[in-house]
Amino acid sequence: MDVLDLARTQFAVTGSLHFLFVVLTLGLAPLVAIMHTRHAMTGRPVHERMTRFWGQIYVINYALGIVTGLVMEFQFGMSWSGLSHYAGDIFGAPLAIETLGAFFLESTFLGLWIFGWHRLPKWLHLACIWLVTLTAYVSAFWIMVANSFLQNPAGAVERGDHLVLTDFGALVTNPMLTMALPHVLGAGLWTGGFVVMGASAYHLFRRTAGQEFFTGSLRLGVVAAFAGSLVTVGFGYAQFGPVSLFQPDKFNGAPLAGIGLGFMILIGQLLQFLIMFVLLPTVYWLPRWRWAHPILMLITPLPFLAAIFGWLAREVGRQPWLVYGRLTVADAMSPGLTRGMITLSFVGFVGVLGLLAVVDYLLIARTVRRGPGAATLGADGPADSTERAHALSL
Amino acid sequence: MDILWTGVLALLLIGYFALEGSGIGAGMLLPALGRTQPDRDRVVAAMAPFVLANEVWLVAVAGVLFGAFPSIEGEVLSGLYPLVVTLLVSWILRDAGLWFRRRLDGHAWRAGWDWMICLGSYGLALSWGMALVAMAGGLSGPPIGLPGLGGGLVVAAAFALHGWTFLSWRLPGQVTGASRTGRALLASAGVAALPVAVLLAALAPWLLEHIAPSGTLNVLSVMILPFAPLMLGAQVWVWRTFNPRRATDRIPSFF
Repeated sequence: MDVLDLARTQFAVTGSLHFLFVVLTLGLAPLVAIMHTRHAMTGRPVHERMTRFWGQIYVINYALGIVTGLVMEFQFGMSWSGLSHYAGDIFGAPLAIETLGAFFLESTFLGLWIFGWHRLPKWLHLACIWLVTLTAYVSAFWIMVANSFLQNPAGAVERGDHLVLTDFGALVTNPMLTMALPHVLGAGLWTGGFVVMGASAYHLFRRTAGQEFFTGSLRLGVVAAFAGSLVTVGFGYAQFGPVSLFQPDKFNGAPLAGIGLGFMILIGQLLQFLIMFVLLPTVYWLPRWRWAHPILMLITPLPFLAAIFGWLAREVGRQPWLVYGRLTVADAMSPGLTRGMITLSFVGFVGVLGLLAVVDYLLIARTVRRGPGAATLGADGPADSTERAHALSL
Repeated sequence: MDILWTGVLALLLIGYFALEGSGIGAGMLLPALGRTQPDRDRVVAAMAPFVLANEVWLVAVAGVLFGAFPSIEGEVLSGLYPLVVTLLVSWILRDAGLWFRRRLDGHAWRAGWDWMICLGSYGLALSWGMALVAMAGGLSGPPIGLPGLGGGLVVAAAFALHGWTFLSWRLPGQVTGASRTGRALLASAGVAALPVAVLLAALAPWLLEHIAPSGTLNVLSVMILPFAPLMLGAQVWVWRTFNPRRATDRIPSFF
């Protein structure tokens, strides 16, 4: 592989890893927020245990989302400085708004939520997880604004050797964005719903303690997956309009993009029918049908697979362009990037992140297996109740 | 507008050194101050609630660099390439150590990730020092060299002092055996941020020269500045919630 292929592969691998974790973050965040709300409103212990157990899975998953995201953000300047030179005045704006107006708040509020158990007043602690969810969605919006600009450089004109921003409204109402954003958010909810469903099916199948806990969780997972799948599939087909308008050859020229599209639709459509016609109508009885639980466990990873195929379709189909029709990937590569440099960072990033991703999934699997009794998030109340009263004086 | 966004960049980078310097310093001191596992747990539990709120300042720096200084972003990151790789890998290992150390019960598991936290913290401090020296030299020389190593040691020493002061403030009389006031912590934050503040003052004219056009800056201002009070408010909330007067550390830490 030459330098360009290595740089592309590095970005593709970190991007795919990032999305594998982000898609679950986007889906689990609202589900955990809903559980926490039920806990705050009813005070029933089962809702507290649900919040802590699924919240811990959400938080472990979040770790890899952060570190892969960091690497992606810095890779733009390291490998693709031609992009910031040519289109930085426009492409940089959504990324800057994302880091400051969304991720900065998301990270701060997540820290308050994780470490604020038994310390923050009840309703302020609940507000933290809703703010984390809201800012995660705002993050997704701005990242998709940036990505859609690469697919269709709206709102910009070329002056001299670079693009300048002429119409901010066109940037945030890009037709390549408006149909794709709900598609991505729906896929997140679908994935989160499936993980909750699959993990609950595991415990129901094993007949472990806490059948009420996992009966409720499984139903919530199926309903979330149903809502997510409707949005995902609907806005998936709706994207053919803008794609055929702005990138007519997207799936003809690049075989990999076509394969990605085909498999995504195959997985997505079959699963959506299964959810709509089988799982949802039987959701009341499903927790008791032990024979069905292995099937639910087996289909749990499929939304992750479909998500990766979807990104392959969207990004490979853009080649050889980085900014469609304006700047090629080859021209965007940082001048002076050598084989030695990219090999060093490839081993560092892809090797380390790949290993950590495997460790992270094993830890999630172990957290699921050990069940809600072993959740450490928010475990143990304060040693004396005056502490809670103290925190109220904030 | 130019001066405002140069100021935002400077504030974020100085804020990162002043805040996260304590976490990096505490990580470097982890084996020295935490001879036993319970002591190391105490050190990590002391820094844990602040880590997410602190490290995000650097993410914001990268965002502002891309948004408001796109031509500098590519030049600096590719000019400092090996240092940026070391910095990121160190950051990843440090964070993985924090998130993973309590997820399994074994003694070797936790001790191993504690070494990762220490190693990653040293990597962060040394690569920051070297990066500052290389930036001061106008990115002309090789990014790794003897003067750079000197800079790395200076930053590492400043972070270690800041980390030690932080632990003496958060856990008075416990792992360090000393106790420090909030004022002392503020002073050590100043020491940790001093190198980067000096560099930024020297680079200010160069930064102003390479700032994005006013159209882009106006968009950034309209979209971001309304959230500035919320961002600062959330940060203040973190420091109020987890300060030593409120937060006795009887609760097991998630990290």
